[in-house]
Amino acid sequence: MKKVLLLKLALLLCLLQQAVAQDRTVTGTVTEQATAKALPGVSVSVKGAATGTSTDQEGRFSLGVPANSATENLTLIFSLMGMVAQEVVVGDSTVLAIALAADAKQLSEIVVTGYQTQNRREVTGSVATVAGQEVALNPFGSFEQALQGRATGMLVQANSGQPGATASVLIRGRGSVFGGTQPLFILDGVEISATDFSTLNHADFASYTILKDAISTSQYGSRGANGVVVITTKKGVEGPTLLDYHVQYGFSTMPENRHRVMNSQEKLAYELANGNPYGWDADDIARLSAINTSWEKELFRTGLTKNHTLTASGGNNKTTYLLSGSIFDQEGTVRNTGLDRYTGRANIESRAGDFTFGLNSTFGYSELANTYEATTSTNVPLNAIRWSNPYEPPYDQNGNYNQPVASWQPNALELIYENTSLRQQLKGVGNVYVAYNVPFLPGLSFRTSWGGDYFSNETSELLDPTTAPGRGVPGGKGQYSRGYNRFFGYTGTTSASYDRRFGSDHTLQVSMFNEIVKGGGKNFGFTGYGLGGPFENEAGITPGTATNGFIPAVNGGGNEQALLSYFTMVHYGYKNRYFVSATGRRDGSSRFGLNHQWANFGSAGVSWVVSEEAFMEALTGVFNELKFKASYGTSGNQAGLGDFQSRELYGRAVYNGVSGLQQVQLENEQLKWERRTTFNTGLELATLQGRLRATIEYYHALTSDLFLNRQLSRTTGYTNLVSNVGTLQNSGVEFSLDGDLIKTQDFTWSANLNLTHNRNRINKLVGEGDNDIISGVYMNREGEALNSFYVVRYAGVNPDNGNAQYLNLNGDLTEVYNPADRVLVGSAEVPFFGGFGTSLQYKGFALSTFFTFVQGNKIYNEDRTNIENPSFVWDNLAAAMLDEWREPGQVTAIPRASQVLRTGTTRFIEEGDFLRWRNLMVSYTLPGNVLKAARLRHVSVFAQGQNLATFTKFLGFDPEVSTPALTGARSRVPGQLSGAQYPALRTITFGISVGL
Amino acid sequence: MKLRNLLLGLGLGCAIIFPACKDIIEVEPEYQKAGSPGGFFSLDDHEFALTGAYALFRAPGYYGIGMYNAGTWAALPDMMADDLVQTKEDFGNWAAQTNWTYATDEANIEIAWVAAYAVIAQANLTLRNIEQYSATNAKRVNRIKGQALAIRGMAHFDLLRFWGESYDRNSTANGVPYKTTVNVEDLPTRLTVKETYDNIFRDLTAADTLLGDVDRTINAPTNRAYIDQIAARALLARLNLYVEDFEAAESYASQVIAALDLADRDAFAAIWKDNYPADKEVIWKVTFSPGEGQAGTGIHIGSANLNLFRPARHLEDMFNKANDIRYAAYFGGREAGASAAVYPGNTAPGSSSRRIVTKYLGRGEALDNLVDWKVLRTGEMYLIRAEARARQGGAKLNTALTDLQTLRAARIKGFAPTVSIGQQALLDAIALERRKELFAEGHRWFDLKRTIRTVSRADVENAAASETLVPAAREWTWPIPQGEIDVNRNIAQTEGYK
Repeated sequence: MKKVLLLKLALLLCLLQQAVAQDRTVTGTVTEQATAKALPGVSVSVKGAATGTSTDQEGRFSLGVPANSATENLTLIFSLMGMVAQEVVVGDSTVLAIALAADAKQLSEIVVTGYQTQNRREVTGSVATVAGQEVALNPFGSFEQALQGRATGMLVQANSGQPGATASVLIRGRGSVFGGTQPLFILDGVEISATDFSTLNHADFASYTILKDAISTSQYGSRGANGVVVITTKKGVEGPTLLDYHVQYGFSTMPENRHRVMNSQEKLAYELANGNPYGWDADDIARLSAINTSWEKELFRTGLTKNHTLTASGGNNKTTYLLSGSIFDQEGTVRNTGLDRYTGRANIESRAGDFTFGLNSTFGYSELANTYEATTSTNVPLNAIRWSNPYEPPYDQNGNYNQPVASWQPNALELIYENTSLRQQLKGVGNVYVAYNVPFLPGLSFRTSWGGDYFSNETSELLDPTTAPGRGVPGGKGQYSRGYNRFFGYTGTTSASYDRRFGSDHTLQVSMFNEIVKGGGKNFGFTGYGLGGPFENEAGITPGTATNGFIPAVNGGGNEQALLSYFTMVHYGYKNRYFVSATGRRDGSSRFGLNHQWANFGSAGVSWVVSEEAFMEALTGVFNELKFKASYGTSGNQAGLGDFQSRELYGRAVYNGVSGLQQVQLENEQLKWERRTTFNTGLELATLQGRLRATIEYYHALTSDLFLNRQLSRTTGYTNLVSNVGTLQNSGVEFSLDGDLIKTQDFTWSANLNLTHNRNRINKLVGEGDNDIISGVYMNREGEALNSFYVVRYAGVNPDNGNAQYLNLNGDLTEVYNPADRVLVGSAEVPFFGGFGTSLQYKGFALSTFFTFVQGNKIYNEDRTNIENPSFVWDNLAAAMLDEWREPGQVTAIPRASQVLRTGTTRFIEEGDFLRWRNLMVSYTLPGNVLKAARLRHVSVFAQGQNLATFTKFLGFDPEVSTPALTGARSRVPGQLSGAQYPALRTITFGISVGL
Repeated sequence: MKLRNLLLGLGLGCAIIFPACKDIIEVEPEYQKAGSPGGFFSLDDHEFALTGAYALFRAPGYYGIGMYNAGTWAALPDMMADDLVQTKEDFGNWAAQTNWTYATDEANIEIAWVAAYAVIAQANLTLRNIEQYSATNAKRVNRIKGQALAIRGMAHFDLLRFWGESYDRNSTANGVPYKTTVNVEDLPTRLTVKETYDNIFRDLTAADTLLGDVDRTINAPTNRAYIDQIAARALLARLNLYVEDFEAAESYASQVIAALDLADRDAFAAIWKDNYPADKEVIWKVTFSPGEGQAGTGIHIGSANLNLFRPARHLEDMFNKANDIRYAAYFGGREAGASAAVYPGNTAPGSSSRRIVTKYLGRGEALDNLVDWKVLRTGEMYLIRAEARARQGGAKLNTALTDLQTLRAARIKGFAPTVSIGQQALLDAIALERRKELFAEGHRWFDLKRTIRTVSRADVENAAASETLVPAAREWTWPIPQGEIDVNRNIAQTEGYK
């Protein structure tokens, strides 16, 4: 394989020598139509080819084009965000003067769909875009958090407030149960690992394109079933070097929990009412009541955020470049947690004749100090603050950590300060590409792009011997673990395209692609024991002997997977009004059984610009633009599976110091691609002279050959086997509205709204008859949404005896808890969500704000099953428990303490609805005359807030609950707050941007 | 030049369109071994798989402790009975079992069911097609096959101990499915108790025979980590006691005792710190090394000084505290507080009433609970033989008494034997000794079930604790886990849970 690559490079270099002297140059200027001012940064590209440049400060450009290309076909595209893109046939002229009009319409927008760039009117599929600048300054450690509510069809759930934590992203509903549901993320053509973005700087990102339906994701067919997020980074602009510097400082404030735990007086009163388990006497009560520790206040803090980004860009007519560097330092609201990140980027593009060479690369380093979350374990600081008694002080009189004697909860502060968990990550993403326009056959071009995604993680974890977890390890004297894992994946895409205009009415683009995506990683680690000497690092490990119990543990492993694809794409346009696209592809994956590795996928789409029809002429005043589109097709999913999921596997087993083998996975040679078939249709329209733009789309996506855990008889020693069984559908409507309510020279007021309603439904599961899949409180049943909650209905407390009451299947009251009375009470899947915002601009002042919401999902609040469990009277409990039933006749919702708590009931199922004030940004940009005097290009100051307020009834820190960590791209089980919640950060920052 | 360009261009075009060979997706696992439907390719692999079967005994749900489940066949049977007392410090993670409040959806019961069948499945993988090596390597096959059969028989016996509706040898009540093949689509029925026993006997007696003719010694004198012929016979002794074939029980116990006698009094305490006397006392233990979990943290977490279950006061009072070496080896005092010291027996200074079980605290001075789980001990063999002899009556009452006295003499300094005793009094004395000797080793619940008694907890600490379980209660037999019922239409639910 590598040899093939080398050969190709050599071939290309040969050709290069032949080709260098063959170009001619087209030059010109671009101005704004209304003001005749020069427009810098306008993208100038040769239609159908990868060749392009941008205008400089004075709006000038110079572009080398193939000298012998048929000039009647040579079309240049001029585009700039906010301007109507123009296509200009060059003809014989070598100097062009172009005037761009401000964009009143959306159809002229240029859309980057990954391998290709299209005008929006040509797009037959469902594509949403988010401009990078909209979210560039949002201080998130992981960029996808910033996309919450920004695009229709894309649900971003924060999942954790830990700096750098990855959100859970769903495009058009959860399309898989066992397989991955996270979309594919493509950064400059390279697939990047979807589980960790904390070492990428999103200020470098120019645009996010969200591909949602079959025809638009078809170019990623084998991986596109969950949708694709295509990110392009900023490129340099021809002209003198521009320097841009952004800095912001700010702070994240302490969260509040809507489900309060007891204070000292309350807790002591509760203990006395429940048998005084610790046997306090009156003196104790008086002494302890005086101590009132808020463990939450002790553990949380105000965390500082600092962010600097410096960008330099420029270039000449041959070569453009963009270099950037950034520092991002965000402290978490939990003490000792945070993310420290340094990134650098170099994007370079150079043209030489018919060849274009490019390099996009980023390299970063980050340090992440984290804490456990989404767990019900003890010895976790975020649980300890809920469960520690308030009458325990954090420190004793001597200033040492207080060791609680009245309960066995650890001291949360001791855990967070003495035990450290640190991850250092190196990440690099880059690609190089070569494009070649064949000079003797105009319209034919070749392109090969090879990119890699690399990361390595070094982890170190200390369990101090003085802490409870440190005493609970082998040898009982603390533990120090180091781990290292690295991953390298590469994406190689090679294509030949032919782009041609026939006559004046026909355009045709045919491309053939070959793509290789291969990745693998290795890891190893060790855990040493016997700390407590002079060192708290590697040097502190005591070597093991036969008697001291400090024999270290070592581990190692690796993974590898590969994908190979061939595909072809055809776009045909007639009269610039009717467009047809089609894609056919064949994909092979290493993850499936030998006979099922390969699968074919295809899709087709049409679009019709109705407003250009003659019969619409009378209505052009109403519908400035009206476009209809429809598409249908299939795409595949193989994410979330193990690398060798179809194989019977034996892993290492050790017994009595001897290594052996243990079966760890059953064979399923029938395992094959999960397939998603999507129908999409929609209307895009612009009215009121383009001031109001709306899109409405309907989709219906059917996942067949669903990866599901087919239940097995437990007598096999397994509970289930991953199989292709069942079908699942997501159907929904997306609506977006974007309007300029007022638009004058000095004042604009615009507003936007996007709404998505998704209906998730399981069509078919494995087997006949009763084939429900029940897992804990979740049930998957035909005809119902995924991850529906299946519990017994709680019906309050019998005032006569304090017993918990339930409804049986007939709806009758009963005091007997019987799992046979379980019913479905709603799903964890979100049916309705969206975002809305508005922005005001008056001269240099600007204000924008943005809200997001979800509605209709349910959450199982497992955290409450701990703090509302009277048998945990030894530890702190929810203040709500003070309403416990104590005497006959008492009407309350909390049963008597002596009854066993049943957790699988509706008592702990809550509404997940919330409305969140996601962002507020206020800025002031200095006027041009001031800037000129100061010889500055741009200066603005701003203040912004994230998550300023959240409106919800959910009893916890945050309705966006943490779910257990992603492994691979595997689907998280949503909708359960297990405990140890790290809520989303509420951050306020102040900053300044300067351009030189 | 044009022509050369064209050729080059075409060549390039073809080269870049189809550069990839299909072998790019032919990836083989490096860190795991792919299996094949026919089983293993070498006898070495069978031996590796046997190691895997032993390792599964450590799984949470069998002897190991999980986050929320106690070792099912480790200390849980004692927690479910009357000699271990749930304290106020317990999290209640397995309270549904210890307070007998389980329904069919009790997760820990499903975990136990799966854990035992996982051991069985791994034993069946070890056995699959192993006969192909019998002609060329008979003794090695015997060694591997004998152990795998013993493991399979024992795990089924352990399942029957919880899920068998009766312990009678010929009972037609529900037993458990008996798995002898590798088939993931199998939806087995419950055999009757009798049929289950038939299978267990077949496997264990076959193991006994095979393990008598092996290529090399299986166990080291101070590290008896595997089931050899002696251990197989010890299992047969236990099994025959349950089915009340007292002659067989006596015979097997005698063979074991002849091979591995009781530990000397001086050496006994050290056994609980994993310091083993050569070829004495411990017949088979499941070993635990760092990072492989623990079996004893369900009772007392040494590092955190969490005393989840404490010894019952009435039990401690049964011991001769001054002279019985078991008293100091099994019990201790420890004040609350993470760094509090452990005092064996009743040597704790002051008047501490916080009593702990010290059997599973760790090796040497460590309090990390990292010790082996002792599955079979010679002490149990003496008690089996004594009970078997006493139940046979007649002249054997004397030898039964001798067994009891021998065990007591080995445990109690200056023990003065009693001269004679009646049958019932002797049986009671044996039962009492059993309770003392095998305390917290996973026997008490089964002994109560076997001898059809009532659990009545004289010593209870938590208000929520259940106190009495009469013999007629359904809880003596565990329900088939709901997950199994949901998927396996052939399986019958335990009486009382339907």
